[in-house]
Amino acid sequence: MKSKLSAESNYDVLELSGEIDLHYSPQLREMILGSLKNGNSLLINMAEVSYIDSSGIASLVEGFQTAKTANLSYGLLTISSPALQVLTLTRLDRVFTLYDTVEQFQSQL
Amino acid sequence: MAAAEKLLEFQFPATSAYLCTLREKLREVLGPCSPSEELLNFVVLAVSEACVNIIEHAYCEDDTGDIILEIERQDDNIIFRLTDFAHRKTSKEEMKSRPLEEIRPGGLGCHIINEIMDEVQLIECNSDCGNVLQMKKKLEP
Repeated sequence: MKSKLSAESNYDVLELSGEIDLHYSPQLREMILGSLKNGNSLLINMAEVSYIDSSGIASLVEGFQTAKTANLSYGLLTISSPALQVLTLTRLDRVFTLYDTVEQFQSQL
Repeated sequence: MAAAEKLLEFQFPATSAYLCTLREKLREVLGPCSPSEELLNFVVLAVSEACVNIIEHAYCEDDTGDIILEIERQDDNIIFRLTDFAHRKTSKEEMKSRPLEEIRPGGLGCHIINEIMDEVQLIECNSDCGNVLQMKKKLEP
């Protein structure tokens, strides 16, 4: 997994790529929760994620719950086909807010 | 019924660092007999999830050891057998899916395995330690 966290004017963007499994999910969890605990809304770009397992999904769910509690916006951007297959299988595609463009996310901030 | 053909036997340490190598092996072996990329992705995910369960729940706390993955082909079915040597015995109850209505982190691995595989079975073994999980998947379009 590779990741890059960048700050926009009123939210953070986390760009993920590669394979997210049990080896990398603690690092993902730390980045997601770190951003949210700083009070920033978070958009996670998953266009280049080639694999994600249940531990990676668990980090995304924990972020979703933390954002909801803190009343912050939280969304997944341009999800790759392999990652969407896993979200659909676990029916979490109905839980997360999925965005096709950054503008869609910005418009509801 | 044709005799089972062994496609792979791969022994590796039960740590998360080896999951990537495991998936590479699975893709190498299953790629030629998988009818679609989507099905291949799902099968690789299910076997990897089963290994994650062994790493996290069978070899828990101070226990360490190896996992042996055996893959056999029998007609259109692919049989996956995962053997571990953990001191902790896994129960059939632990292999059940949890309700998806509960939105919480964790506990999705068994749901993923049960959804993807046609059969999931914990094989009774007489030894004091270790577990054998057998999963079967028909590779058809």
